[in-house]
Amino acid sequence: MERSFRQEVGKLRLGEGAVFHGEGILAVTKALLQSGVAYVGGYQGAPVSHLLDVLNDAREVLDELGVHVETNASEAGAAAMLGASINYPLRGAVAFKSTVGTNVAADALSNLASAGVRGGVLVVLGEDYGEGSSIIQERSHAFAMKSQMWLLDPRPQLAKIVELVGRGFELSEASNTPVLLELRIRACHLHGSFTTRANRAPPISTKRPLTGPDFDFGRICLPPATYVQERHKVEVRWPAAVQFIRAHRLNERFDGDLAEIGIICQGGLYNATLRALELLGLADSCGGTRVPVYCLNVTYPLVPEEVVDFCRDRRAVLIVEEGQPAFLEEAILALLRRHDVHGVRVLGKGGGPGSAVLPLAGEYTGAVMLHGLARFLELAAPAGVDPARIGATLRALTAVKQRAAALLGAPVPTRPPGFCIGCPERPVFAAMKLAERERGRCHVSADIGCHTFATLPPFNLGNTVLGYGLGLASNSAVQPLSGRRSVTVMGDGGFWHNGLNTGVANAVFNRDDGVLVILKNGYSSATGTQELPSSPRHSPHKSAAMSIEGALRGVGVHWIRNVDAYRVARMRRTLDEALSTAEPGLKVIVADGECQLERQRRLRPETARQLAAGQRRVRVRYGVDEDTCTGDRACIRLSACPSLTIKDNPDPLRREPVTTVTDGCVGCGLCGENAHAAILCPSFYRVEIVHNPRWYDRALERLRTGFRRLLS
Amino acid sequence: MNEAQRSLTVLVAALGGEGGGVLADWLVDAATREGLPAQSTSIPGVAQRTGATTYYLEIHPRRRGAGPEPVLSLTPSPGNVDLMVASELLEAGRALQDGYVTPERTTLIASTHRIYATAEKMPATDARFDGSGVLAAARELAARSVLFDMERIARDEGTVINAVLFGALAGSGVLPLSRAAGEAAIRAAGRGAEASLRGFAAGYALAASPQPPAAAAAPAPAPVDPRVAAAFPTATHSILSLGAARLDDYQGPRYTALYLERLRAVLAVDRGPAFELTSEVGRQLALWMAYEDIIRVAELKTRPERFARIRREVRAAAHEPVVVIDYLKPGLEEFAALLPRGLGQRLVGWAERRGRLDAYNVGLHLHTSAATGFLLMRALTWLRPWRAHGWRHADEQRLIGQWLAAILAAAPADSTRALALARTAEAVRGYGETRRRGVAGFHARLAALTAAAEPAPADIRPAAPHAAQ
Repeated sequence: MERSFRQEVGKLRLGEGAVFHGEGILAVTKALLQSGVAYVGGYQGAPVSHLLDVLNDAREVLDELGVHVETNASEAGAAAMLGASINYPLRGAVAFKSTVGTNVAADALSNLASAGVRGGVLVVLGEDYGEGSSIIQERSHAFAMKSQMWLLDPRPQLAKIVELVGRGFELSEASNTPVLLELRIRACHLHGSFTTRANRAPPISTKRPLTGPDFDFGRICLPPATYVQERHKVEVRWPAAVQFIRAHRLNERFDGDLAEIGIICQGGLYNATLRALELLGLADSCGGTRVPVYCLNVTYPLVPEEVVDFCRDRRAVLIVEEGQPAFLEEAILALLRRHDVHGVRVLGKGGGPGSAVLPLAGEYTGAVMLHGLARFLELAAPAGVDPARIGATLRALTAVKQRAAALLGAPVPTRPPGFCIGCPERPVFAAMKLAERERGRCHVSADIGCHTFATLPPFNLGNTVLGYGLGLASNSAVQPLSGRRSVTVMGDGGFWHNGLNTGVANAVFNRDDGVLVILKNGYSSATGTQELPSSPRHSPHKSAAMSIEGALRGVGVHWIRNVDAYRVARMRRTLDEALSTAEPGLKVIVADGECQLERQRRLRPETARQLAAGQRRVRVRYGVDEDTCTGDRACIRLSACPSLTIKDNPDPLRREPVTTVTDGCVGCGLCGENAHAAILCPSFYRVEIVHNPRWYDRALERLRTGFRRLLS
Repeated sequence: MNEAQRSLTVLVAALGGEGGGVLADWLVDAATREGLPAQSTSIPGVAQRTGATTYYLEIHPRRRGAGPEPVLSLTPSPGNVDLMVASELLEAGRALQDGYVTPERTTLIASTHRIYATAEKMPATDARFDGSGVLAAARELAARSVLFDMERIARDEGTVINAVLFGALAGSGVLPLSRAAGEAAIRAAGRGAEASLRGFAAGYALAASPQPPAAAAAPAPAPVDPRVAAAFPTATHSILSLGAARLDDYQGPRYTALYLERLRAVLAVDRGPAFELTSEVGRQLALWMAYEDIIRVAELKTRPERFARIRREVRAAAHEPVVVIDYLKPGLEEFAALLPRGLGQRLVGWAERRGRLDAYNVGLHLHTSAATGFLLMRALTWLRPWRAHGWRHADEQRLIGQWLAAILAAAPADSTRALALARTAEAVRGYGETRRRGVAGFHARLAALTAAAEPAPADIRPAAPHAAQ
């Protein structure tokens, strides 16, 4: 796994009144244990991977409490696990990335929300939106609305987040409804502190199991129960939730002297709102504000009385709501109209001419908030604020961008993430590029994973991405309609998540004739190298390696080739064969190569230990001869390995930079493979350095050096 | 609203895998040790160890418990960054571009080394971003800037760049953190603490009292070749001497004489005051005449300097044996190059017609540092006297002849075009397929430049577009 959480495990044990210092998502994990959770599950994905990672490292703590932890096969599996709380008074929680994970989980979540829950249920959503996101840009808010689940969006301060985890369970139980806890990327990775409470052992646990099964047809999602459930949602659960939110003051009001205006913000954007106000001279650094703020730590459902009360006597209110559609803004507008509040102008994303203050789409960064709030103050023009001064302040803060652009001369090149040094997926795409050179381009259906980076230069391989494990399924109409074989790329993570069933079984069933390349690197690498069913090594609480090839054969795939991912020429030949063979049916190439990050993580300490112990070790790395390199960089266009880069040409007669290999090289061998497979140039060489040499190594070296001297 | 001290803000721009997260942890820990409220956020979306990323921290200068708790922001705002830290020059440029470095507030701490982005290193022509703009913008827009090559220091100290950055950050004195608190944070984090502390100390010293960067010593000019001095103007001496030396080394003085003779013809038509055409042709011609055939490659790969250089590059200690294995894949063209002219010509022609030029390459892993591999390589270099009789030699001289003729024809009337013609040789480089494409490009460019000069009849077609494939 990417990170070991041994240290963090200690933090999960903290008792009453201690101070926890650490990451947001770990604070949530601790809060779950403080809330007496009986079971936890989820599926890895940034930014919430660490929740499950730390729990997997904390088996001992969990066993003491009797908490069950499961790494679910997908988000759907995680959401379905919450079904345990339908019949039994068990508190349960799952975590996944949203909205992609919520999409996968949607079926189970709908059924769960309809049946209603007896035990408190909390779904921790890592809202992967804005800078640093790796997925499509959507909001989780819609899921809450369509299934009537309550959505918490806490103010990003650890103590507040932890408090809302506890309140979330209570709210869930008070209203028999699952509760979603939305945490944005930065909130998940936020390092801060809070005062802990003792962990609570759940009343029903692996140590004190259920006494017997409960049957209640009213909780089955089948008519006529479903009709009753729908009415129960709106007639009983919703009012109960609003009542609870109001009674426990989950939303917060911060008053200020500029009473004719106000701001309603999502809890998650409270800090950003305050900072923008501070920079414009209307707030201080400790929460004191001149503009009244109503902070929605619960963004669904709204509490009509609170909204009306906040807006009634103001001239203008700004809604700070990230992402689109503007659900909150529209709900608030409708709500004010229904309650006959007409005097207040509601500003935010849209509406009439001149009233758009904040952008419809995109993350509300510091710059966006600053411009938006300045515009709001200009339009609302409250007495006691000089709009000219606001404008001048804004200009002073932001004018530097134009000067910087002029001085820099050209826009700075982008630097998107890509394959790591020595990644086993890079050579597969090099082979595909070479195969393509000869056979012409074909449609490549890509999937989700590190390998999606193949769509970037220099490979530009992958025409569509439709979702995790859905690569092959997304190819099912392309293949028959393109008149030739097409290629699908899928990772082992995607394979087990969804691809085996939706992709492979579907393709075999429908007599698909395409080619599937499965990149078997052994882990769910992009999310932090978590274990998969087919991982080469497993922690003791997981079943031993399950086989991808076995699963393929089991669903009726006959043409299966397992190829060492680093053997470019062989991979290219295998691709050629798969694309040209007369054999009908799905052809699957398993590209076998362990994730280099994980490999290095294992090898590095081992190597260091051996070196320190004086053991003989051979280190391998690659190099480029600067005097034979002519600087055409064909090699870089087939690799883009971070350790294969360029430097000034040491030859004073040449101008073009030459290629060079940096010290970061891990000796994966791709450079040499490419040089051969693509007949690049004679500049590449492999170096073997013998550390802690034995007498025979040194003797041989002396002989060789002497021989070379003699012949030179 | 009360008057309260504002939070100090730190934005760290780094590349994945450089330890930016660890740096943020050290900072938060050091601030906590000082009793100050601190918070950090990051956006490490994916696990990959590449790509630009940022870490953002806020530290409140009033001690915990001495007043209301501060509201710390999770995102940086333009014009509100006290300390901008960049682990590489381009990332410093990005921070400047995004408006995070302002003269009123910002101390910029950046490493001046370059790690090229894919977009910079991929194109066949030099597409590297000009870093001088970043340095100019840094000097102009930062309240103070601390710029030095932290990567080199990290390497010298046997540590990672984040330790040097942390030291520079602490040494800059912008944050209310003592040196002791910084060092304690590193020690508490454990693993590799001693190396990190060395990096920290080096960074601290440089930021606390920045040394003016040592001016790079200008390379000593190469001695002027007497054969060049005798026949060519001073402005061309350095390049032509290098060219002459290259060809002496390549095939001996007679070959060099041919080089200088060809250049005398160019000089005769060079009308430029600085003799730019002669210099440019002299540079290109030397490279072209010293084309990299199998003999040349074998020679370059068996030089003692090469083994010494490789040892340096891989940081092998004096007592550590180093084995070098070369990846070679000679094919039909390399073989034909050594055949007598007519025979070689026929063989290549035959293979070309059948599209089998790359069909017979043999992949070799040649153990050049060992006796047999070295002997084989050396044996190839013994073929040097034969080179001039081979097909490749004749073919290259034919192309060079075409190129020179075009230049000589153009120069008297149009010196700009002559220079452009001289530069067409740039395309002829590389090996195998790459070189063949280069030669095709060269022909197309040459034809286009020649056609452009002729009075165009009404029905003339664009020059040989097919040759550009």
